[in-house]
Amino acid sequence: MIDSRLRGLAEQVEANQISRRQFLRQAAIITGGTAAGTHVLRSMASAQGKPKLRIWLFKSFVTAGNEVLQKQIEAWAKERNVDIETDWATFGDREQKFVAAIEAGNPPDVAEMNYQGPARYRPALRDLTKVSTEIAGARGGLLPHAERYVVIGGQHLAVARQTWPGGFFVRKDLLDAKGLKMPKVYDPDVVDIAKKTQDPSKDLWGLGQTLNRSDDGNGFMQNILWNYGGSVWDKEGKPALGTSFLKQNVEALQFAVDTITKHKIQPPGVMAWTDVHNNEAYMAGKLVTTNNGASLYYAMVNRKHPLAAQTQVIGTPGGPAGSFLAAGCYSWGIFKASKHADLCEDMIRWVEDEKRFEEYMRTSIGQAGPVYKVRAQNPYWKSDPNFDGMLQNVLRGVWPGYPGPITPAAIEVQAQYILCDMAGRVVVGGLSAEAAVKEAHRRVEEIYKIRSRG
Amino acid sequence: MARVFSPLPSASTVPAAALGRRPRGGLARALGPDYRMGYLFVTPIAVSVLALVAYPFCYAIYLSMTHKLVGMPPVFVGLENYIRLAEDGFFRRAVANSFTFTFASVVFKLLFGMVMALVLTTNIRFRAFWTGVLLIPWVAPTVVSALNFLWIFDGSLGVLNYLLVKVFRILPQGVGWLSEPGTAMASVIAVNVWRGFPFFGISFLAGMKAIPAELYEAAAVDGANALQRFRHVTMPGIRNIAIIVVLLSTIWTFNDFGIVYILTKGGPGGATMVMPVFTYETAFGAQRLGEAIAVALYLLPPLGITIMVLARYMRKGRAK
Repeated sequence: MIDSRLRGLAEQVEANQISRRQFLRQAAIITGGTAAGTHVLRSMASAQGKPKLRIWLFKSFVTAGNEVLQKQIEAWAKERNVDIETDWATFGDREQKFVAAIEAGNPPDVAEMNYQGPARYRPALRDLTKVSTEIAGARGGLLPHAERYVVIGGQHLAVARQTWPGGFFVRKDLLDAKGLKMPKVYDPDVVDIAKKTQDPSKDLWGLGQTLNRSDDGNGFMQNILWNYGGSVWDKEGKPALGTSFLKQNVEALQFAVDTITKHKIQPPGVMAWTDVHNNEAYMAGKLVTTNNGASLYYAMVNRKHPLAAQTQVIGTPGGPAGSFLAAGCYSWGIFKASKHADLCEDMIRWVEDEKRFEEYMRTSIGQAGPVYKVRAQNPYWKSDPNFDGMLQNVLRGVWPGYPGPITPAAIEVQAQYILCDMAGRVVVGGLSAEAAVKEAHRRVEEIYKIRSRG
Repeated sequence: MARVFSPLPSASTVPAAALGRRPRGGLARALGPDYRMGYLFVTPIAVSVLALVAYPFCYAIYLSMTHKLVGMPPVFVGLENYIRLAEDGFFRRAVANSFTFTFASVVFKLLFGMVMALVLTTNIRFRAFWTGVLLIPWVAPTVVSALNFLWIFDGSLGVLNYLLVKVFRILPQGVGWLSEPGTAMASVIAVNVWRGFPFFGISFLAGMKAIPAELYEAAAVDGANALQRFRHVTMPGIRNIAIIVVLLSTIWTFNDFGIVYILTKGGPGGATMVMPVFTYETAFGAQRLGEAIAVALYLLPPLGITIMVLARYMRKGRAK
């Protein structure tokens, strides 16, 4: 169909009222204008179409929980008429993905972050104080450790979702057979139990706790320093590993190393373990005790593993100064680059709705620990005797940087496995515990200096 | 004096204007009459190289001199990153480990590759089959190989300890292959050698096949024994191939990330930390991108020197 203005021009040409050149010029203006107008209309139409959100989730070992979360988000997208593109970050690639996306200026709209996220990606994250306080307020407030993670510099940079509880997994059948009680402290309780129950000739070992570069090694090394009254940081958040806490830290490190070299209660190769090795060794019946997240319990229950019934999960043992452990916090962050912050907030409200979270929590078999006070009182946590130890660990949980604040430097010390390297330098490198602590202190000071620049 | 008739006057005797061409300037004289066309052909390549190699490389050098944290603009700090790294004990250990890892791996790959090639040149049965079998480590993806070795070396559940302790009863107790000072680096080197020696072997095999049989026959007639034939016929025949293979393998091994990262992540206690893993840890663990690039750029001089030395050695050989 010819535009009426073009038809008019054509008639004028035929009637010699305008020249061919004039016809071409005016026709070009008309068609160009029409094309531009059509393009604008098309983009307006598409702007009024479905918005699209890029959502990054974290793929935990609790696969059933992952599926529930994905379904909930899909249901939200359908309800709100939103297109979504979900992607999963894993233990192995989460940092790379975030770093690459932020540096390329192309982060997702909303992402589930681990405990390091709010502090590390602060420049790229939106202030979520309004939605975070609203959600927390309706749930009795944030638990203290969770608040430390999501509130940075007075702003809520994330909305807390869950804590993955950890626990001390003990083969109660083996302890019962020897008439032993559950341990309260590592030294002497765990050491005694381990020595009395292990049988290296049958490849059964009293404790499976790596000190190698891994989340498991990091967590244990940090906890053991606190248990002995030490820490990497002082109350002001300044390095204290090899200064004010030197004595306590050396004792703690010596104990950790002794479990391998002196007490010989750990299996060969434990210094090369990654996060999955102790899970595999425990389920293969080669360990009497091990520290792990609830995902190990989930795996045993989910697979109907015979050791699930023989396992007691208790609160993590302590040391001379008490029993401390870091409880992490997974949280939702919305990136500044997102053009759909309102939709992202709506999605967060949807999945954090108590009924939906409870569905997720029950599917996760202990893995979806509370970050809000009301969730900690859910009767679910009394439905299995093994949940109590996990819950208590969350409720008394502290954070990297304790007794000081969470800082980017404290997070980097974790991310660089400084404490694991410190242990490795004694076990493998042949350094004394004191020399290793002082060497690690120098690295911590360097990190502190660099991070203090902002 | 009569002029010599020439039906096709040379271009130089005919004025340029008569041929309809503009008189040649300096560039045309220096570069030839088609130099404009030459520019046309070269431009896409030059632009590609500038955009894809030179610009990123120069930008990397600039970033290595900045304090660059994720999501923050870079702040120029000059050579501070390089100086700090030079003073960092963990970095220095990573440099030393990289040289140990590379040197030991390449030497063993060279030896095993040579043995492989020599065996495959003999008249063994099912030679094609054995060639295929020996190429499997080279063909298999690094990640798959490394994950298999992670299981093989496992202290509790690994097949190596199972064989040594339970089946052959050589050891009373399993060994932590990847966790003990004497075995961690040796184990990652062993995996690298296992993966890389077929490349040496197959390259040497190709070189040996190209050596004329007459040379061996002549040497045998002259009374050379097998060792002498290997030294005076085989070795000179594959010399250039050996240099290229060593050169490539040195670069690849020095940059090898996958095997060490999967097996040990540079642990325990930095005992197997090599520079590519250190770069990765600085970039994604510490998230200090400027410093990570400085670590990576520290790799350049040793690799550059290796390449230059081997290239010169190869050119000398060719000149002889």
